[in-house]
Amino acid sequence: MTDFVVQDRALAKAKERAKALSAFRLGDLVFKNITLSAAVTVLVILGGVILSLIRGSIPAFHAMGFEFLTSQSWNPVTDKFGALPAIYGTVVTSLLAIVVAVPLGLGVAVFLTELCPMWARRPIGIAIELLAGIPSIIYGIWGLFIFAPFLQEYVQPAIIEFFAPIPFLSSVFAGPAYGIGTFTAGIILAIMILPFITSISRDVFSTVPPVLKEAAYGIGCTTWEVVRKVVIPYTRVGVVGGVMLGLGRALGETMAVTFIIGNAHKISGSLLAPGTTISATIANEFTEAVGDIYTSSLIALGLLLFLITFVVLAFARLMLMRLDQKGGKP
Amino acid sequence: MSEFSMSLYNARRRKNLFAKAACVAATGIGLAFLALILGVLLWKGLSGLNLAVFTEMTPPPGAKGGLLNAIMGSVIMTVLGVIVGTPLGLMAGTYMAEYGRYTKLTLVVRFINDILLSAPSIVIGLFVYEVLVSTVGHFSAWAGAVSLAVLVVPVVVRTTEDMLLLVPGGLREAAVALGMPRSLIIRKISYRAAKAGLITGVLLAVARVSGETAPLLFTALNNQFWSTNLNAPMSSLPAVIFQFALSPYKDWQQLAWTGALIITVTVLMLSIIARVLSAPRAQK
Amino acid sequence: MNVQVNMTSGVDAQMAQKISIKDLKFFYGDSLALKSISLPLYDKKVTAFIGPSGCGKSTLLRVLNRMYDLYPRQHAEGEVLLDGENILAADQDLNLLRARVGMVFQKPTPFPMSIYDNIAFGIGLYEKLAKSELDGRVEQALRGAALWNEVKDKLDASGLSLSGGQQQRLCIARTVAIQPEVILFDEPCSALDPISTAKIEELIDELKSNYTIAIVTHNMQQAARVSEYTAFMYLGELVEFAETSHIFTSPSQQKTQDYITGRFG
Repeated sequence: MTDFVVQDRALAKAKERAKALSAFRLGDLVFKNITLSAAVTVLVILGGVILSLIRGSIPAFHAMGFEFLTSQSWNPVTDKFGALPAIYGTVVTSLLAIVVAVPLGLGVAVFLTELCPMWARRPIGIAIELLAGIPSIIYGIWGLFIFAPFLQEYVQPAIIEFFAPIPFLSSVFAGPAYGIGTFTAGIILAIMILPFITSISRDVFSTVPPVLKEAAYGIGCTTWEVVRKVVIPYTRVGVVGGVMLGLGRALGETMAVTFIIGNAHKISGSLLAPGTTISATIANEFTEAVGDIYTSSLIALGLLLFLITFVVLAFARLMLMRLDQKGGKP
Repeated sequence: MSEFSMSLYNARRRKNLFAKAACVAATGIGLAFLALILGVLLWKGLSGLNLAVFTEMTPPPGAKGGLLNAIMGSVIMTVLGVIVGTPLGLMAGTYMAEYGRYTKLTLVVRFINDILLSAPSIVIGLFVYEVLVSTVGHFSAWAGAVSLAVLVVPVVVRTTEDMLLLVPGGLREAAVALGMPRSLIIRKISYRAAKAGLITGVLLAVARVSGETAPLLFTALNNQFWSTNLNAPMSSLPAVIFQFALSPYKDWQQLAWTGALIITVTVLMLSIIARVLSAPRAQK
Repeated sequence: MNVQVNMTSGVDAQMAQKISIKDLKFFYGDSLALKSISLPLYDKKVTAFIGPSGCGKSTLLRVLNRMYDLYPRQHAEGEVLLDGENILAADQDLNLLRARVGMVFQKPTPFPMSIYDNIAFGIGLYEKLAKSELDGRVEQALRGAALWNEVKDKLDASGLSLSGGQQQRLCIARTVAIQPEVILFDEPCSALDPISTAKIEELIDELKSNYTIAIVTHNMQQAARVSEYTAFMYLGELVEFAETSHIFTSPSQQKTQDYITGRFG
């Protein structure tokens, strides 16, 4: 008799448990699928970006064909558009930024990891990273009103004079000094990507096993030799990844460049002359563009920009992932 | 060490000193730019900072006015963007760190997400224009908010995954040993353990989008007047700065500087708070 | 303590002291890790340092080439005389010191470059040599480390492609190549298999005709096999320093006796 009661109770308990478990299972399933679809949405966003840009740029490619990539003309009146000056400006400003920012960024990273006294590392590191927090438009307004006039008055005349007697370079740095232009945009971009290069370099420098550095110091290497021969070779892949990441940022940077590039749709031999970039062209003209071809040409520019940065950024990530794997195994 | 060459050694020492000096100089240059930018912002921006900035609308050329509609527009669209983008990012990051930790999908999503993280924001603006503006036929605050949301997602995904991966496996195992179901473990244990980090991610996302200009230019456009209609163009602080700074009018330029100061202070404050919140973790 | 006794006793006093450590104290921040250590390292002899983990033997080794200088809040007091010159002096040139006092680490540490460059890099720091001369020096160093025959056909391969034991011999070759006067070994075999260990020990035996050697080891048999002198350390103090045969057969201190018979540590 009592046996039955106990059994009953156990049965009821088991039933309750099963019910709770199945509720859990249902909740689990729902939650899991919500997170799964969110993850898939990230992919959908990327797909959407690419598809919508392709769709938007079809009229432009239809009208101009391959010439869109090679032509230098940009004429809203005749509806003839060529992307070459914008592509040229984008590449040149970004390369200039890399040339300036890589040595600076590596220098800061070396300073922070090898030279700086412990107590100052965190504050200085944060200060450099704050450069990345300043909105793009602030660099633009500062560059236009403060930095460009400064360069125009004091720096560019000296550069022009210095390179004047040197063949070839004299035309690369030919006057007049406008202040704004490709050169100034490159410098501002360099400052903007400096923190990215610094922080990734710092991260990868810290993956160098201390004992390896000790071994180099142990045979009497100077700090510089340890950095040059051990730290940088050991982290080469990661540093390249960081540089590519910086390059990706520079290529797509918009507002700062829009303020200071000068917006001239032509390819100029001189770095000091005004030019344009893909992003600056879009930002300046998109809302004013009339006619399907004009709008479509700007979207096609956006597609080009996205493809270029996609390749650069994908390459950067692959490099950094390789380093991660290397760091993973002892 | 018979063949020891002192001149070689001295050359090495000079090189070392030079390289060290160059590294110090590089750091000096970086810090100098920060100081110069912030200094100029304070100097130019503070002189125009007064109560009217926060209480009056953006003026026509030559008149006095403030930035109220622009500030409100920025706040509305940023908040909307974060409200839309955060749950999506949080869920996606949760999948990657918890359910799909070792799956191919996670690898692909992580890769794509990292690319979106650095993708040009202006391209995102074009995307939203194509999807939400050209199809509807007019610019709107909604489109602006959506473009900001698209920028929020990758930031939140990244920090969510990173922070959840930092939750000790032992904690999870202990919860499993109690018979807790997975979803409950994630919500009650993992999220709680990673709370500071998750908040950091959202703050970073807010900091990232509140200074964004490019994608707003052709989604929310701009609006000279006060508007809370989400289906109409809406003003935003960065867009107003863009317009006013490039104008020839002194009053507008002054307002642009003041707006620049407000944005910068807000963004830098947010990123410093985010850093302080995540600081104990960094010293692990 | 008997340390002083040994230092002044008959035979030892006549031997040349390459390094003499006098009243050495070492601090990690505020905590004292070495408490007034005094002992000699005799020229062209092998001195082994034994003792339980944390006794300060590795710390002592890292004072001898001032490796601790890399880290903040670590400092040494007292005197360490290398050929009569105090290397703890503030104006000591660290690069020159480390050229004279080489070090081989617990884990093999090949630099991220080719086998050839791993050796040539160190030589190039101090001497400017013609390519042919450099080749000769690299070969000599690799032969000296009993590695030449194994790597002579793949000198361009990465140093990381070698096995653990080979990597460690590469590191020894690298150290030998810059012709130091003293070589410090910090548990050089603890990450190696028995066969590689035997090769390294053989190598140390050959090296002692040209170099003064200090070796930290956890393995007492190893200390007995390779060294002429042994220092037993415990909790940051030098308990006993004497000829190895003396330490392992009739130690003067009870603690030493306990340790070598495996009663603790």
